[in-house]
Amino acid sequence: MSGLAKTAVLAEEGGNNQNRKRSLHITEQCNNKRTKSDDMSANEKKSNFSLLNPHSNGSVKMTSSSMNKPGAATKKLVIKNFKSKPNLPENYQETTWSKLREAVIAIQTSKAIAYSLEELYQAVENMCSHKMASQLYVNLTNLVEAHVKANIEQFLSESMDRQVFLKRMDDCWRAHCHQMIMIRSIFLYLDRTYVLQNPSIHSIWDMGLDLFRHHIAMNTLVQTRTVDGLLLLIEREREGDAVDRSLLKSLLRMLSDLQIYEEAFEHKFLLATERLYAAEGQRLMSELTELAVPQYLAHVEKRLREENERLLHYLDPSTKWQLIHTIERQLLSEHLSGILDKGLKALMDGPRLADLTTLYGLFGRVKDGLVELCKHFNAYIKKKGRTIVIEPERDKTMVAELLDFKEQLDHVVTTCFQRNDKFLYSMREAFEYFINQRQNKPAELIAKFVDVKLRAGNKEATEEELERLLDKIMVLFRFIHGKDVFEAFYKKDLAKRLLVGKSASVDAEKSMLSKLKQECGGGFTLKLEGMFKDMELSKDINITYKQYITPSQHLSAVAEGGGLELSVYILTMGFWPTYPPVEVRLPVELTRHQEHFTKFYLAKHSGRKLQWQATLGHCVLRAHFTQGKKELQVSLFQALVLLLFNDGDNLSFEDIKTSTNIEEGELRRTLQSLACGKARVLSKAPRGREVHDDDHFAFNGDFTNKLFRIKINQIQMKETSEEQKATEERVFQDRQYQIDAAIVRVMKMRKALSHNILITELYNQLKFPVKPADLKKRIESLIDRDYMERDKDNPNQYNYVA
Amino acid sequence: MSGEDFDALDRGDNDGQKSDKMFTLKKWNAVAMWSWDVECDTCAICRVQVMDACLRCQGESKKDSYGKQDCVVVWGECNHSFHFCCMSLWVKQNNRCPLCQQEWSIQRMGK
Repeated sequence: MSGLAKTAVLAEEGGNNQNRKRSLHITEQCNNKRTKSDDMSANEKKSNFSLLNPHSNGSVKMTSSSMNKPGAATKKLVIKNFKSKPNLPENYQETTWSKLREAVIAIQTSKAIAYSLEELYQAVENMCSHKMASQLYVNLTNLVEAHVKANIEQFLSESMDRQVFLKRMDDCWRAHCHQMIMIRSIFLYLDRTYVLQNPSIHSIWDMGLDLFRHHIAMNTLVQTRTVDGLLLLIEREREGDAVDRSLLKSLLRMLSDLQIYEEAFEHKFLLATERLYAAEGQRLMSELTELAVPQYLAHVEKRLREENERLLHYLDPSTKWQLIHTIERQLLSEHLSGILDKGLKALMDGPRLADLTTLYGLFGRVKDGLVELCKHFNAYIKKKGRTIVIEPERDKTMVAELLDFKEQLDHVVTTCFQRNDKFLYSMREAFEYFINQRQNKPAELIAKFVDVKLRAGNKEATEEELERLLDKIMVLFRFIHGKDVFEAFYKKDLAKRLLVGKSASVDAEKSMLSKLKQECGGGFTLKLEGMFKDMELSKDINITYKQYITPSQHLSAVAEGGGLELSVYILTMGFWPTYPPVEVRLPVELTRHQEHFTKFYLAKHSGRKLQWQATLGHCVLRAHFTQGKKELQVSLFQALVLLLFNDGDNLSFEDIKTSTNIEEGELRRTLQSLACGKARVLSKAPRGREVHDDDHFAFNGDFTNKLFRIKINQIQMKETSEEQKATEERVFQDRQYQIDAAIVRVMKMRKALSHNILITELYNQLKFPVKPADLKKRIESLIDRDYMERDKDNPNQYNYVA
Repeated sequence: MSGEDFDALDRGDNDGQKSDKMFTLKKWNAVAMWSWDVECDTCAICRVQVMDACLRCQGESKKDSYGKQDCVVVWGECNHSFHFCCMSLWVKQNNRCPLCQQEWSIQRMGK
């Protein structure tokens, strides 16, 4: 077509040529302007244009640029009027049109054109310049219309295979397009002048489309057949059959070009899609088993992929949003909780990371999908966590299980849920919820777990591993409401570790302490830090004591017992757990040492008193056996019992009890450890594992052991429920002081407060669960003690009393 | 070896060693708790145990490395004891012991 235009331009001569060039150029500029001003229609025209002949644009540009050659500008231009107006032959219009008509019919019937295209183009141009354009356009329209009308017959026959029908439709469309391109090329001049100047008139191409749409595509029967045929093909493809995609693509393109894609096809298509997937979703969900959820998710993913491919291959892009949305709604939105109810537990238990990632991806596509997922995720954690926490039989493994559980969830959230903040938050909330479902026990077990890890002899972890483990434990600890319960048990264990020297590493202890401090503030660790401080102070005191006794005159008296070395841990009452005071009868030698130390200590610290804790004392004994000397590391009680055998052999239980004054149960355990344990330095008659009232004990001189230093383990009293209760009781006692302090703190700051606001403030400050009734009691007590008073006018208001 | 045999053997050996002490104490790691030597372990002014910091100090969560060292105990001539913080506030209003109404004068301070 552009070739034609160029030839036409070149065919002109001389100055006339110049003139023509310019006018053509102007027209083109004009054309550009119109294009800009008349955006919508121009775009449509252009798009249709380029659709079928992508090169046309470029060529036009080339033409215009060739006209601006600098060589042309140097020619001098003289314009003269025609001497006389040239006349046209009488029947010029008829003959020319018949020529053109012949050519158009030849094109329509795919025959050879009798005239050269150049000649035809010129004929059109001539007709246009002689004001015959409108007639020419009407004629051409009629001609095309007649042809298009004639074409419909083939589509109206009664029975026709759908596939054949579609093929024929496609052929017809392609032929139409092809013909219209040819026709448009010949009538290009008409298009460029007459059509452009009359905005109400369709371009030739659009006229062709219009006629095709009007006479063929809008025919109800034809349209229904076409669209149904297309839908059938698509449905077959969805069922897995291979179909002719190029046919689909071409026909859908036809619908788009005819601008009936949306009304004729898209609506029905979406409806059919919705029906299909609604049915599919319901069917799959109804037969969905717990194990099949991943398959279902994979299926949904496959469907989405397929439909995207469909969009890529033949559907109009404008359908995309609705189509994908329809699938998402029918396969996902409708079944969100169904999928989660059936599948989430199995996926999480796995954990099946890949499937969870898929799940997250799919649910992220639909509205409320992630919210729903998060809700179920939360419920899952609470349910599973509760089973870990709630059953007393699982106490032994609770903390380890919780750590694993937390780690697994972290992993899932990181790898599958993109570290979504909502999920992280939800997880924390769920942990906090379930871990406090059981009062106190989790806190206690976490404390004991830490104790095991921090105790010496625990060589299973390096420093770094231990540090990491402690960090993980701190995460669990954070969820615990009753942090004071943890503190009480932790303190008890810490005391044991410090006094027996069983702590694995001071660094680890300090690190744990600083973690607790960071988490709960200095008030929480004040006493724990005090314990470490006591240990250090004791070390100093012992050094000074040694210096004190060495030059002393009392030395001879003190040393009489064969160089007994005394060291004392001085603990601050209140920092440490309370131990029941036990009165035992010490040998004279020990009493003398003890008194000596007490005198020394009280001289240094006035206003204090010392309470000796016999239960916590330890001794090293030298022992003479027939096989040689040994050193026994024993508790004070064990030592007291053994020392009795220096003066008498074969002692009865009753004898020992009266001599030492050790409490009966404690004594029984002590004797058991000496006569029935691994290292039997005593022998018992009659033999047996238990110690009875009428048993007799004797020194076992035959005792052998390959080691020189032997530690005789004490038999630990199983932590009775009473003891545990006592610890808890102490915790509750302590809580009262904390409540008091919090009330005073709040009141001092706010001076006057109503009851309700005070209670709310307190709940914000207190880190452990309290009942409002308890708070009320504490408030009453503080009023009694004149820390605050009830307002005289308003009984619901309190005033701070300075 | 039966129990009786074991006992018999045991006794025989012990007879030979009787002169030597079988056990001698080499080392004693004792443990003692210190507390203020007071008759009543709660401070009559703030009703908190004297071993703990007084209520006001707790409320202000005074933290120093020694914990409570700044909230020591004070004894009057009447031998009644209180938190030093509590008592110093008290004497500003009334220079008498809150418990016995005797003129307040400090006998000693905790150290």
